[in-house]
Amino acid sequence: MSALLRHLRIWLASIRYSLVRAMMFRGDFLMWALVELFWMSVNVLLVGVIYDHTDSIAGWSKYEMLLLVGTTLLVQRLLMAFFWSNLFELGRNVRSGTFDFFLAQPGWPLFMVSTRKFDLDGLVNVPVALAIVIYAAQRLHLDPSAAQILVYAGLVGCGLILHYATLLAIISLVFWLQSAKGIEGGYFGLTEFSRLPREALRGVAQVVFVYALPVVVVSNVPARLLIHGFEPAMLAWMAGVTVFWLAVAIAVFHAGLRRYSSASS
Amino acid sequence: MSVVAKYRQVFLTGIQTSLVYRWNFAIRATFSLLHLVYIFILWGAAYAGQTDIGGFPLAATLTYFVVLLILQFFLSAANDDYEISEEIRNGLINQFLTKPINYFAYRLSLYFSARIVTGVLSLLPFLCILPFIGPKLALPAGEHLAFYAVAAPALLLSAFIQFTIAYCFGMLTFWFLEIQSFIILSLAVEAVLGGQIFPLDLMPPWLYQLSSWLPYYYQMYFPTALLTGRITDLSAALQGLAIQAGWALTLFLLARYLWTRGLRRHTAVGG
Repeated sequence: MSALLRHLRIWLASIRYSLVRAMMFRGDFLMWALVELFWMSVNVLLVGVIYDHTDSIAGWSKYEMLLLVGTTLLVQRLLMAFFWSNLFELGRNVRSGTFDFFLAQPGWPLFMVSTRKFDLDGLVNVPVALAIVIYAAQRLHLDPSAAQILVYAGLVGCGLILHYATLLAIISLVFWLQSAKGIEGGYFGLTEFSRLPREALRGVAQVVFVYALPVVVVSNVPARLLIHGFEPAMLAWMAGVTVFWLAVAIAVFHAGLRRYSSASS
Repeated sequence: MSVVAKYRQVFLTGIQTSLVYRWNFAIRATFSLLHLVYIFILWGAAYAGQTDIGGFPLAATLTYFVVLLILQFFLSAANDDYEISEEIRNGLINQFLTKPINYFAYRLSLYFSARIVTGVLSLLPFLCILPFIGPKLALPAGEHLAFYAVAAPALLLSAFIQFTIAYCFGMLTFWFLEIQSFIILSLAVEAVLGGQIFPLDLMPPWLYQLSSWLPYYYQMYFPTALLTGRITDLSAALQGLAIQAGWALTLFLLARYLWTRGLRRHTAVGG
């Protein structure tokens, strides 16, 4: 318990430091917040453009699709706020030897690597993503119960963990490669599928991206909860894959850590 | 050393440097296949129950995205803006101020060398999946040859525009400590107005016309549309080529202006 509290105190200190730094460079913070807002708009625009020419994608209507995309954006904004910068920089740190400093810090290396920075510009767009979800829910005339909203929040949390695990596993490849340049694209390539309805995937694609990899379940399960109500099997599936893939990602990171030899003096 | 020999040496050095990271390029190209799978699934589902969207059948739209993805590896200025920025920030451009080498031409040579490596390496995974996706694609018929003739210079101009925009962003380092946010915002704009998210011809006609006067239209969408038959009016194609050449010249002049003005702010210290 004391170790848990100690790490929590370290995380809060990191968040405090990051907030102070963000306010020192307000221009940077505003610019990045706008950039993220623009990318979110691009995703919403794609839904609008496609539905200008069709009524349904795999049986999902325009606003069901918008709710799905909004859920994906919500999870991704949380990832951007808490973990993206930290894991993205892991590649550079390993190559330059700066990673040694994380190993010398008084905490679990993975925790220290993952929580050093907190990006306020990611967090400020969480309400925007939430607004997209709420807008879509209203257009669908949905009236979720308090329990549904609570479970939805929990599923978004599971989605955040799954995105974190995906990114960690991919970036950890830097311990085997000379550079992480370009491989972070694997995260974006995989998480694109979270903007697809599960019903759109058939055959091999369904086996790989729905059942083998957690990239579709991340957003589909929470969105379906709001649209269709409680589906216990889906909830259990989401919980199971979250635990499994987090364990896999941590194992990959530690396997890479064992390979790591310092590049600094 | 002749001018050509000078930049040929830079080009060859660039090839060697790029090949050091060949596994990263290969992995990046393989991950890009994931994007292709996503595209095929999304648009396949969107086309369900209808024969065309925006006047184009599913095969034409899928072909558009496949060609676009391949061209991105051959044309996109992946890291040139950051590399230029770092060279300015670290003072590495000082060596170019005292030697008979033009920095723009130097970076352009490196750009072409890197694009050849990434482009060729990216073709390997595509060739592997071609037997599977080939039947789903459809290139324009033989009478489209005239458009291919227009596409050839369009591709070169697209590459020049891509590089010059990246070069201009790199030049901003003379004025700004951090340019990453500018670049990422520009990438987002390019993604939409360059036809990377959806073919621009699916936009409302007035928006499509407006976008055809912006440089982003000519970065990726224009050569891709020429190659895949989304532009079917030869006079419009030739007009597009002229506008593209105009943008290439404008951006080149902007790049020269930024370099000249930037050097006035630049301080080179040390021996």
